[in-house]
Amino acid sequence: MQKRVNALRELRRLLSRSEFPPVEASLKAGAIPILVQCLSFGSPDEQLLEAAWCLTNIAAGKPEETEALLPALPLLIAHLGERSSLSVSEQCAWALGNVAGEGEKLRNVLLSQGALLPLARMMLPNKGSTVRTAAWALSNLIKGPDPKAATELIRVDGLLDAIVRHLKKADDELTTEVAWVVVYLSALSNVATGMLVKTDVLQLLVERLATSNSLQLLIPVLRSLGNLVAGDPNTTHAVLVPGREITDHVIEVLVKCLNSENRVLKKEAAWVLSNIAAGSVEHKQLIYSSEAVPLLLRLLSTAPFDLRKEVAYVLGNLCVAPTEGDGKPNLICEHLVSLVGRGCLPGFIDLVRSADTEAARVGLQFMELVLRGMPHGEGPKLVEREDGIDAMERFQFHENEDLRNMANGLVDTYFGEDYGLDD
Amino acid sequence: MAMDVEEKEQLGFPYWKSVRRTFGPESPFFASGNVERELIAKQVALDLTEDEKNKLQNLVAKECGVFFCPIVGCGSRLTSLEDFEDHYNAQHTASCSICSRVYPTSRLLSIHVSEAHDSFFQAKVARGYAMYECLVEGCSLKFKSYKSRQQHLVDKHKFTTSFEFFKKAHSSKKQRQKLQRKQGTHKREEASCMEVENESIDGLVSAVSKLIQRDKRPDAT
Repeated sequence: MQKRVNALRELRRLLSRSEFPPVEASLKAGAIPILVQCLSFGSPDEQLLEAAWCLTNIAAGKPEETEALLPALPLLIAHLGERSSLSVSEQCAWALGNVAGEGEKLRNVLLSQGALLPLARMMLPNKGSTVRTAAWALSNLIKGPDPKAATELIRVDGLLDAIVRHLKKADDELTTEVAWVVVYLSALSNVATGMLVKTDVLQLLVERLATSNSLQLLIPVLRSLGNLVAGDPNTTHAVLVPGREITDHVIEVLVKCLNSENRVLKKEAAWVLSNIAAGSVEHKQLIYSSEAVPLLLRLLSTAPFDLRKEVAYVLGNLCVAPTEGDGKPNLICEHLVSLVGRGCLPGFIDLVRSADTEAARVGLQFMELVLRGMPHGEGPKLVEREDGIDAMERFQFHENEDLRNMANGLVDTYFGEDYGLDD
Repeated sequence: MAMDVEEKEQLGFPYWKSVRRTFGPESPFFASGNVERELIAKQVALDLTEDEKNKLQNLVAKECGVFFCPIVGCGSRLTSLEDFEDHYNAQHTASCSICSRVYPTSRLLSIHVSEAHDSFFQAKVARGYAMYECLVEGCSLKFKSYKSRQQHLVDKHKFTTSFEFFKKAHSSKKQRQKLQRKQGTHKREEASCMEVENESIDGLVSAVSKLIQRDKRPDAT
């Protein structure tokens, strides 16, 4: 038995070299059937560990190499069981995480072989590196695009509670992995989102955003928050209610992210703000009077394109009352007048000029608000002064029919034959 | 001019809608944030993790702290109480009390006991009841024979055809007594079976090493 383990260890060492591990060579030499044999029930722990380790590293390679693990999967899954030693179950989880990370097809195989439940159970204990590895493997397993796995995961007894517990811990690495699980849960499953919003998770996410400086951690935490806000109206209606401390904190941490150096944090924070700004009139008032607005106005002129687009959504949402139906939205004149007065119009007109269809649309929609909503008929004059007519006329013969109609419609309506005659 | 404006606005302009926007996890919107995460979609387990190094250091520091599992017939090498608890939980509580086979979950153990040692189970099988449970937890299907359950595992759960839940590797106690005279041959067979396995692994390792050596040789130009 010891001979077998020693031989396995040799193979494992070869496969653990940091440069050019001989994965292909091992596969050609028939490693998989042998490793599968080594995983049989009742094998000593050392043997199981070494075999799972070899499989982990084979699975870390090219797609066809990961796929080669197919015959081993049912056994790897079985050894995740509660009766396996911790190091064995962790190594198996690692191997399975690699397989799940390969792609949708292998993910589906793992799910149909029952990998989800035992991995989920490994997240329940309070400590140990097994929890972190299981969380990482699960994040790969549930990432979809099929939402089934995410919905199944949130329904595992004790899992929601475990997520909340782990998010409270100071262990950044663990929290990062758990946050990614929350990202996928909240992006894919309405059931999961609904359940998460009812726990302390929002509070915990906000706290981490406030106190952490680890980019690895901030990205999934911010995105989880964003998905929860975007995915469930209850988040803004029932939890992040204006007047509550948590709501003020959310805006504070989003401003912190907007002020960071990192593009991803800035863009995604703006996205979250835009969704909060799509809430009630009170939400819009709250954001409007916060420190977010001066920052957003600055970013609208100076930031890279993709961030400017998100900022535009925030500002536009502040000017429009909650949308009901398809008709003309009601304006919040106070906000519109103030923001235009503080110079946001050129930024929107710039978006109209961009090559991006969505950005142009956003710009034109905002221009419509200005043209219609500025008091004393000032709208058209302001737009003209910022070369808005010119920007719209570019769409006269544009290939995109919607944009063409939008732009032409505005020009006809507000800059028709009668324009300028009153001056 | 005001009246003209109102008429023309009827023509279906897609007004600004103050609504929440959601994105799927693989949306291009999240692409830049995903970059670092994609890098660890797969992770190689390199030689000696931090934990392993710590354990090794501890082992070296307190050589006399090494002991062996006290359970009769086991003798596994252990380094701490925690290690022993873990090992005991894995190897000595999940085993079948009749034939000593070990399983990684209680559920698999209980399935094994029913199928291999329960005459009541066999009686029901003989009368045509579907008694063989699917091994995948959560799939509640049952089958009338070991073979048809096996086929289901292959067809529905993508198990490979070579998977065998119950390998008749060891004789049961009863048979061993009857075969006492033949024990000699039996033991040798088992040993040679293991030797074959060892040979396969050794062969594998040397084949792989040879291929590496070949790679290392400088190209003949």
